[in-house]
Amino acid sequence: MGKKVAGSGPCSRIPDNSAFKQQRLPAWSPSLTAETVLPFFYIIGLVCVLLGVALFLTVQKIQEIQVDYTTSGTCDACFEMRSNKMSASVKCRCSVDFSLKENFQEDVFLYYGLVNFHQNLRRYMDSRDDGQLVGRTTNLKNPSTYCEPFAYNNGTPIAPCGAIANSMFNDSFTLKYLPPTGGVVIVPFYRTGIAWYTDKNVKFRNPQIENELLPQVFQGTAQPFYWQKPVYELDPSDPNNNGFINEDFIVWMREAAFPSFKKLYGILNRQSKAIFEHGLPAGNYSVTISYNFPAQYFQGKKLVVLSTVSWFGGKNIFLPIAYIVTGGVILVVAVVLTVVYIKIGKKGLNMEE
Amino acid sequence: TSVEHTLCHSHTVGEPEQHVFGLWEETRAPEDLHYLSWEVRANDRRFHQRQQRRSFLCFEWGKYADNAVRSYKYTPLTFLPLSLYEQFQRIANVYFLLMVILQCVPAISTLPWYTTMLPLLTVLSVRGLKDLADDLVRPRPDFPLHRSFTSVRWRDVCVGDVLRLRKDQIVPADLLLLRTSEPHSLCYVETSDIDGETNLKFRQALGITHHELSSEPVEPTLLAFDACVWCEQPNSRLHSFKGVLEWKGVRHLLDTDHILLRGTVLRNTDIAYGLTLYTGADSKILQNCGRLSVKTTQMERILNRVVIGVRKIVLLLLMVSLLLAVGAGIFEAQVAPRFEVLSALGAGRSPAYKAFLTFWGYVILLSPAMPMSLYISFEVVHMIHSLFIGWDLDLYDAGSNTPAQAHSTALNEELGQVGYLLSDKTGTLTENRLLFRQCCIAGVLYGLSQRHTDTRTTQHTPLDLSWNPFSRGGLQFSDQRLVDKLRDQDSTEVREFFTVLALCHTVMAEWKDGTPVYQAASPDEEALVGAAREMGWVFLSRTRDSLTLSELSHIRHYQLLALLDFTSQRRRMSVVVRDPEGVLKLYCKGADIVILERLRQDCLYAQGCLRTLCVAVRSVSEELWEEWSRALAKAAMMTQCGAVLDTLYDSMERELTLLGVTAIEDRLQEGVPETIATLKQAGIKVWVLTGDKRETAVNIGYACRLLDPDTQLLQGEELRSSSLLKVTEKRRKHSTSALVITGPELVQYIPNYFSTILQRHWPCTNTRSNNQAFGEQPGWDGRFMALSKLCQSVLCCRMTPGQKAGVVQLVRKHTSSITMAIGDGANDVNMIKMLSCSTFCTKQVPLLWCMSGLRSTMASVHRSESQACESDLSTQIWAS
Repeated sequence: MGKKVAGSGPCSRIPDNSAFKQQRLPAWSPSLTAETVLPFFYIIGLVCVLLGVALFLTVQKIQEIQVDYTTSGTCDACFEMRSNKMSASVKCRCSVDFSLKENFQEDVFLYYGLVNFHQNLRRYMDSRDDGQLVGRTTNLKNPSTYCEPFAYNNGTPIAPCGAIANSMFNDSFTLKYLPPTGGVVIVPFYRTGIAWYTDKNVKFRNPQIENELLPQVFQGTAQPFYWQKPVYELDPSDPNNNGFINEDFIVWMREAAFPSFKKLYGILNRQSKAIFEHGLPAGNYSVTISYNFPAQYFQGKKLVVLSTVSWFGGKNIFLPIAYIVTGGVILVVAVVLTVVYIKIGKKGLNMEE
Repeated sequence: TSVEHTLCHSHTVGEPEQHVFGLWEETRAPEDLHYLSWEVRANDRRFHQRQQRRSFLCFEWGKYADNAVRSYKYTPLTFLPLSLYEQFQRIANVYFLLMVILQCVPAISTLPWYTTMLPLLTVLSVRGLKDLADDLVRPRPDFPLHRSFTSVRWRDVCVGDVLRLRKDQIVPADLLLLRTSEPHSLCYVETSDIDGETNLKFRQALGITHHELSSEPVEPTLLAFDACVWCEQPNSRLHSFKGVLEWKGVRHLLDTDHILLRGTVLRNTDIAYGLTLYTGADSKILQNCGRLSVKTTQMERILNRVVIGVRKIVLLLLMVSLLLAVGAGIFEAQVAPRFEVLSALGAGRSPAYKAFLTFWGYVILLSPAMPMSLYISFEVVHMIHSLFIGWDLDLYDAGSNTPAQAHSTALNEELGQVGYLLSDKTGTLTENRLLFRQCCIAGVLYGLSQRHTDTRTTQHTPLDLSWNPFSRGGLQFSDQRLVDKLRDQDSTEVREFFTVLALCHTVMAEWKDGTPVYQAASPDEEALVGAAREMGWVFLSRTRDSLTLSELSHIRHYQLLALLDFTSQRRRMSVVVRDPEGVLKLYCKGADIVILERLRQDCLYAQGCLRTLCVAVRSVSEELWEEWSRALAKAAMMTQCGAVLDTLYDSMERELTLLGVTAIEDRLQEGVPETIATLKQAGIKVWVLTGDKRETAVNIGYACRLLDPDTQLLQGEELRSSSLLKVTEKRRKHSTSALVITGPELVQYIPNYFSTILQRHWPCTNTRSNNQAFGEQPGWDGRFMALSKLCQSVLCCRMTPGQKAGVVQLVRKHTSSITMAIGDGANDVNMIKMLSCSTFCTKQVPLLWCMSGLRSTMASVHRSESQACESDLSTQIWAS
């Protein structure tokens, strides 16, 4: 360039000689050869396997017991009673005994589990009115069409509307510890603090009308068809846990992804009794169930689950296994590639030729 | 209608090529002329404006297009519909539109409708804005000219207007030539923008208009001109025109010789008057340009295939949706009835219907599997890439102050995938700035033999030409012997040799600083006349029938009797002159094979990479001249058919005496050998297509390192031997090989690609149908390609433009790789038109090889109408 003066001066159309325009900005363009790629295969494979093993050991330490109470213990009768629609409103209590072989350390979580219940059907999941649940008074009386056919009961708006709320799980549990010395100790559980913070404080709000109490606010709405009590009386023991911010309700409204799932029911209150200070001691227990939710229609099962947690969460073996399998596959591929490279690759054509 | 009625006589419609026209009344029976339905009334603006074509959005009505130069695609009104129309030609966009429509059906909508609308809108607006930006930066030229002898602009020209054109003006619309300022109403046009031929063509007005409209004062007569022209509907056939001029009750047949096409340039004619026949979009060149089409690159085609094609993403998606829908149906039938809640939600619809709805629901839900963002990414990458091409310092030519320019942003990545590179030689590999190097006069060789010496490094001792007042320098020739001989007075052959050089040409002289500067159609003429000037045989000026020379400062006038034009078929040109002493002479110069056929001498220069032209002379007797000129006049009166003239010319150009041979060097462009070496290293097959002789081509091949000294040269005859491929395969292991083949050989072996029809009708012929018409020789083309695949490079010499196009077709048919053609736009238009990916090289820009779309060379004026994509091909890119 620059042979002639024509290239300079104000009329010149010569491109800028800047680092950006001339593509001289620092850049890294790796060339992917066997030597550079194969180590990455080995490293990633090893990391995956090690991570998987570590997670596996962690998960193994978590203690969990599942008690199927659908028909076991004294619940047989209740199961039969719930099969009959006529007796749907008749109260039924039953209990199931079980024993812990070893101590459940630290925090213990009580879950209820359902098997074969399809909370993940799309139309079921759509059947709710988030506007109503967030406490908009207009939506309270005018539920969204998404709630159909669970929006109105003979012209009266249903609160909370929709299929999810309608089918809310309504069994309740009392766990009793039977110490070897005799007697019965009721295991105390926190029934609040079991929902997500955002759900409890943002997504679910009670409708507010000045100078009106909760029952007055809900005046003019109907309770869902299957419910035995209105939404503002869900928790008789704690007035602040009623209405749409009832935590059992919130937990239920967060739909499970699979047909078999467990939902949190309570967290062990370790402060109230010295015996539970370090978790649940090994020994015999009995769980008393207020049996309301019918399971025979969908050929399902109902469970009570007690579990400890680690930093990793509950007892879930899937992730460790996935890591181990992935890491193993990567290692096998790496070995195959190495063999191929040693046998053929070095002699093969490369870009230069 | 009465006029139309009188024109309707029964006769067969003529075969496509009818050259024999004259005054209709004299020569031909009345024809069925009902197809001449395009009516043009001279100087009747009101008649035509009533039928002016108007358009609103995409709808057009009316007959006559306006003449505005549309270098842009969109107007504010048409932008939206046109841009949407273009964008919905991409199947992915249509798919997403379908998705949005599906979303609007409440029964199956899974998400609110705007969630799929937003990405679609983004894609559409990004692309639309990019197109708009591309469109806005295009230049919007409009040129002043004279209609009814007041100055108007192009866009104001209307059918029926009589226009006055001046020298070097571009013809603004298809005109019927009425008269010119030259005798016999001749005029010269340069058609290089239309057909790539650089020689000037002459057009002649009808005798009737020439005579009737010549009376002074000219312009009022023309304004009163009230003829009516009936011609064909606008069409794309550049080389044919049929029409009738009806004036004063007499009808005159018109043909293509009376027509000035839009985009041609008026040369060597002071003033020409023309009647506007077709304007704007009706003009032949714009009809030829075809519709704008959305260009798709290989990459985009692959993407489209992957996304939409059978067994690809769409099908997968539908299959998955179907499976899921079947699953949903089973669930609805088996499981859902058990849940009171779920069966209540179903509201009594049958499971099959619910499954059907679910299917569409899943189609929508899975639509993100389509790689929509990939399309946007492509757009952005293309745009940035083309910016970088423009910014590249290595692609900037300081001499002409031009950076590289990517006209269409879409084809950039094709450059990196080129497998076959078809290159023209002249002007692309070589500079096309010719230098007079050597000559051989009467068996004596003047000038150094330059074989195997690099001309750039050889130091010349420049000739002392200070005795010559007309010298402008620049002669790279140093042989004092020749100058001495010239000034020595007694060497007649040498003197006559230079007389021929100074006389036998079509060069025009322009005076600058007291010395003549020559304007020539072809650079070799300029080189020869320039060399003669330096040697003292100065061509001073020409009129229509005389030439003035200064022979060593003696002014001599030669009477020009006839000029036997140069054509690419004849490959020679001659003049018949009467010198001041009254002697008739025919001077001829032309390609050596052509001339040598007509005498018996050999003096070959082709070995030195030099382009040779033979110069010969013939003394013509008065009687022969009389007879021949009468025949010529008769032929010119009766016909415009080239074949008749050719035979006549042929009969004159006989019994020549060779005066000598000139050798001109066509220098390689800077950096060409390095580029070719890099290309070869990158595994790209380089084909050079040239009109030169085999020897010249091979030598150029060596010079630009297309061929190595140890390269095995294969000849065209080897196609015949059956075991050839095996042998070549074996040889290939030891050394590289190259194929050298000539145009005539190709015609002989693979006639279906190189038929003469193709050459004549390249713009509008569907060659595929021609192939069937000609006796195909199956296998030969395949064999040729198989052979050429084994070769590192292929040299095709003695190719005509039509054959070049044939080669391109052949390569494209037999390979799947991207083919790129490079040419400087002169005789390579055919070749470049055959390709979607081609490179257009601006003249005299060394190593700035650029890439153009299909029609970039059709016309520089209409350039913007072609979506040309110029880009680069430098060593840098290929080295990466």
